[in-house]
This record gives sequence, structure tokens and C-alpha cells, in this order.
Amino acid sequence: MLKNIPIIFLSKLLNLFIKLFSFGSGSTWPGEIALRLNNYIIVDILKISPLKLILVSGTNGKTTTVALLKKILKDSGKKVISNEEGANLINGIASCLIKNMSITGKLNYQYGIFEVDENTLPIALRFFTPEAVLILNLFRDQLDRYGEVNIIAKKWSKALQTLPPQVKIFLNADDPQIKYLGENLKAEVFYFGVEKKLMKKTKLSHDVDSNYCPNCNSKLDYKLISYSHLGDYQCRNCVFKRGYPMTLKAKNLRTKVKGLFNNYNITAAFLVSKILLSLTDKDIKKSINNFLPAFGRQEVIEVRKRKVFILLSKNPAGFNQSIEVVKEIFSKEKSNVLLVLNDRIPDGRDISWIWDVDFDRFKEVINYFYVSGDRAYDLALRICYEGIPKEKIKVYQGNIKKALFQIINNTAEKKKLIILANYSAMLEVRKVLVGKKFL
Amino acid sequence: MKRFYSLTIGWFYPDLMSTYGDRGNIIVLQKRLQLRGIKTTIKKISIYDSSEIIKKCDLFFMGGAQDRQQEIVNRDLLKQKGKFLIKAIEKDIPALFICGAYQFMGRYYKTAEGVKLQGLGLFDIYTENPGTYAKRLIGDVIIEPNDSIFKKNKPVFFVGFENHGGRTYLFDQKRAFAKVIKGYGNNGIDKTEGFIYHNAIGTYLHGPILPKNPELTDWLLQKALEIKYKEQISLKKITDFFSESAKKTILRRFSV
Repeated sequence: MLKNIPIIFLSKLLNLFIKLFSFGSGSTWPGEIALRLNNYIIVDILKISPLKLILVSGTNGKTTTVALLKKILKDSGKKVISNEEGANLINGIASCLIKNMSITGKLNYQYGIFEVDENTLPIALRFFTPEAVLILNLFRDQLDRYGEVNIIAKKWSKALQTLPPQVKIFLNADDPQIKYLGENLKAEVFYFGVEKKLMKKTKLSHDVDSNYCPNCNSKLDYKLISYSHLGDYQCRNCVFKRGYPMTLKAKNLRTKVKGLFNNYNITAAFLVSKILLSLTDKDIKKSINNFLPAFGRQEVIEVRKRKVFILLSKNPAGFNQSIEVVKEIFSKEKSNVLLVLNDRIPDGRDISWIWDVDFDRFKEVINYFYVSGDRAYDLALRICYEGIPKEKIKVYQGNIKKALFQIINNTAEKKKLIILANYSAMLEVRKVLVGKKFL
Repeated sequence: MKRFYSLTIGWFYPDLMSTYGDRGNIIVLQKRLQLRGIKTTIKKISIYDSSEIIKKCDLFFMGGAQDRQQEIVNRDLLKQKGKFLIKAIEKDIPALFICGAYQFMGRYYKTAEGVKLQGLGLFDIYTENPGTYAKRLIGDVIIEPNDSIFKKNKPVFFVGFENHGGRTYLFDQKRAFAKVIKGYGNNGIDKTEGFIYHNAIGTYLHGPILPKNPELTDWLLQKALEIKYKEQISLKKITDFFSESAKKTILRRFSV
């Protein structure tokens, strides 16, 4: 560990510089430098620290679930650290560890809860053995960056098979590919899902990725569906099926995070904290009910007496779920919506996926569609083909600030308005709304 | 135009071959027919369906997919539906095959692991994946269709997004669908993109291809109607759906 002290010192110094000169939040570079100097720095740190690690991966819901778990564990008196959202590669984990340790290498925390990028999970598991791994779901997302969902599932399966029996693995049984990951593991597996009562659909929608059996390639028969390819299924050829996962009675929860997809996040956080810490149901539920949505995920910002809802929507499954949430919020009155689509590297350069989004479900609750971002015209084209008249579409290509200004001006005071944006677009929207420049 | 036209679109394997928003192509075909008062039927043709439906279709579409899905489809296509599809294409019925579907139409596909999978042999092409560690060909694409398809007064460009590991080679480069202006196209070397045979087009363009390139959409629809009704058809012009501006976003990015 002695050899690491200069590295930790340097890394902390870099973090200080980044903060001092506002180069960013320092959530990746300090760790990156440390890793370049010692590739095994995380292993070294963990060797002398009592920190127990919980890794959270999956396409959608990582940030919210990590925040939920952090809240539950903190409320129970545990000392917890977690990586900043977005910094979910190895360097983000290293940054977080170094930032929170003393210069002598002491890490005075009991739990480290880390969201881990889909491609990073197998790499992370090569470096260290966590206390628990939670996998939420697997949807098509940034195919140009992550590749196809089957390739990711294969990599995960290989990585999980290396884990020893004392590791606890939590898997979403409603997602066939995730359920299948639990077969033939040495580690202990726990399954979660949602109540069948909440599965309201019986027909698969078109945005599904995993409706064929991961075991024998035959078609899966769904009795009920919650959303996308998540539901109660059974293979028509072999014995593979959903089974009986742990679920939560939704009516006992009074949570501020809406939507069926958040029910999965909540149930997962509930199960993990119950198994790992043996907390009482009552205590966990209390924490869940007091939980406030994470940054940009159904976050509500008050701007000039209007309530602005920001919903990060970066892939078909997530976007379709956002639309359901919007319909829940605006069941009584119509509202204006701003859709923002960028195609930068963190977003994925390929925007084909907007054609997998069910924009027609939006029509009944929306007055005017404002569209912006680098690919605003692609959004306009997309919703126009869904039968939304051209007069109702206002395009502000590449000018998010102007789009925000217009939609706020054209929405009456005390009314709500909605913003659906993909990753870099969401950050830009928040910067404008929270920053002093917007008055 | 006659008063009551109708068209049946055969959509191959929508539950298996529809990964990159390719469903958008169907939405656009359908909408542009509806706007012209042409009755449209979409027939989904998947592995559990009978091959007989193929005989009733006036236009075919098949999208791209992932490796596992492609395995399932390839079996069904070679054993069951392929011969019906070939017959239809030989009779000039138009078709659009994207990415994985395009590769199927060739003689063979050599996977990243070196396994040679037999194709339908409809197109005189073959595809080879140089291996798991070779670079995938990913990014925005701009192409210029060959004269044989579009007799045009001013240059026409099509835009899209490509994402493929396999490299496709043509036995006769003159039969390519288009010339690459920006991007990789068939193999990243010879500047060809896609393939055309009778009225069937194979291409690597996702995006999806049809919404931003209505010229191609209308070409397919016009051909389908002409073959079905055996008469000259000129389709009513449709005022812009923002497609021109969306296309320009990409053209401008690469100063085309």
C-alpha cells in the first residue's frame, strides 16, 4: 500500500485542481490517472479496507436504484459511498474510492454502492469480488456503442460464473435474459419482479429484444406483460420460465418515483437491503417513501412559477416508460412537451431508435410539441409520421436555450410542463434551467 | 390513376429482424400509401407462419438483427420461405433488405468465428466478418444511388447510419445500389453500397433508411403498383414531412 500513497496524493491533488478551476466534477480523471500509474489500485485499496461492495448494472434504472439503496442503507445507520451518475466506468469507481479516503489510504466506510456500465461489469468482476451484484434489465441501447443485447448477456453470463458461493446475485426474473443468467451459478441467486396485478398487457409490443428462449431459441409464450419484454413468460418448448420471484405490494408504498419501471427499481433495492442487512420491511419502506428522484430522473424544477418535469429518456424502453409516466401526471389536463435529442458520443451516434418509440400514445395528453437538440428535425419527422399535425410541432434545432425559453413563455404560470431528453441533452437542459443565465 | 388501388406489404420476421428502428420503414411506407388513398395491408411473415402468404404480397421488407436472431431466421428462410421469396423477386416484385437481411440474400456469410453460413443466393454477393477483434463499420453514411434506379436531373443523396461487422463483396460492382460519398458501405474499400437485383434492394443503411429518403420510399411504392397493376403509375407528390431538413442535418455535417 505504501507505493500507492504518492498515487493517491497525486490523484487527490488533481481532484482539487479540477474543483478549484471548475473543470468538471472530478468524477473520472483522478481515478483514470491513478489507474494508469497502478492498474491494480482498486484491488490494493480494497485489500486493506473493510468496504463491502454492491454493484448495480442493467440498461435502465441504475442511477435511481443506487440512490435508493444509498438512502435505505444510510437511514439504517451505515456509512455509504457511491459513484456519481455517469461516472460508471472503472475510473469512476477509482475516483470515488480515492476521493473518500484519507491520504494514508484509510477508507472509513462500510458500503460502496456502484452503478456499473453494461460493458464494465465483466471488467470490474475481474478486478474484485463484491458482496452483491444486482442486474436490473437488458434493453437495446446505443447499439453503436454497446453492441447487441445478446453479446452483452453472454459477457455477463461468463463473468457471473466466476463468482464464488458467498457472493449474492440479484436478478430480474421478469426479464428472460436476466433470469437465464442465474442458471448454474456457484453464487447464491435471488430473483425479484413485479406483482402480476401490475402486468396489464397481454400482447408484446414491437420494441422487444428477448422474446425467444435464451435456452433453446423457441418462442416464449407470455401470459402477462408489464412492459417491453418483461412479464410472466414460459418457453413453449423447454422448461425455462419466469418462476416465482419476490414482489412488493405496490399499494403499501407511497413513493414519489412514478412508473412501472421504478417499481422494479424499488423492489430490487428492497430485496438487496433486506437480504444483505436484515432490515425490517417497515424501515425499508419508510426510506423508500421518503426518497426523492435522482438528478434528471423525474426531477421537478420550478422555473418562473412553472413546474418543469425532466425525464431522462435515452432508449426505446426508457422513452416508452417516460410516456406512460407523463400520461399518469397529465391525466386531467393537456400540457406542452419539449423533446430533446442529441447524437453525441455519450448518447450514441445512432438515433434510429426513435422509430421504436410509441409517440402515438402521447397525442391525447399533449398540446404542442417543441423539439430541439442536434437532431431536432429527426424528431419532428418522426412525430409528424405519427399523425401529429405540422402546426403543432415547433422546431429549434441545436438551440436548446431558445426552445426552453419559448416553451416556458407559452405555458401559463402554475402549470406543469414536461421535458424528455436523452443523456447529453438532459445535462444541457439542466444547466440552462438551474444556471443563473436563465432568467 | 385508377380509383381503387390496394397494396399488400410483406414484413418478414418483425419479431426477430427489427433491431435498429427498422420498423420506421414500415410506418413510412404505410403512411405514404394512406395519404394517396391507397388501401394498405401489412402481412407479418414470421417463422410460425405459412409460406403461402408470400404469394399474396406486392412489396417485401426485412430488417436487420442480432446474431442469435439471424440464426433462427436463416434456418427458416433456407428451409421454408426462401424459394417463395426468390420466385417473387424474379417476377420483379420490389423488396428492401436491410443489413442482416441483405447479407442473407447473398451466397454465404462467414461469421466472426470463421463458420460459413449458406445464404439464399439471390444476390451475387458474399459477406465475410474478419473476426471478433476487427473494427465494426459504424457511423453516418451518405450515398448516391446508381443511375439505373434514379434517372435524375440533379444529384440525389441518401443518408443513413451503418453498423455492421461483416464486409460484403460484389461479383459485379456495377450492380451496386449506390456509390459511397461518406462512410463505409459494403466493405469500406471499393466505395460501393448495397446491391440491386430486379427491383430488390439490399443495403446497410439503417437510420431507418426510408423516412429521410422519401425518393426511395416512393420508388418502391411506384414499382410495386406498376408490377401489380401492369400500368404506368405516377404517384401524387406529398408535401414535406421535415424529411428534407432532417437529411440536410447530415449532409451539412459532412459538407455534401
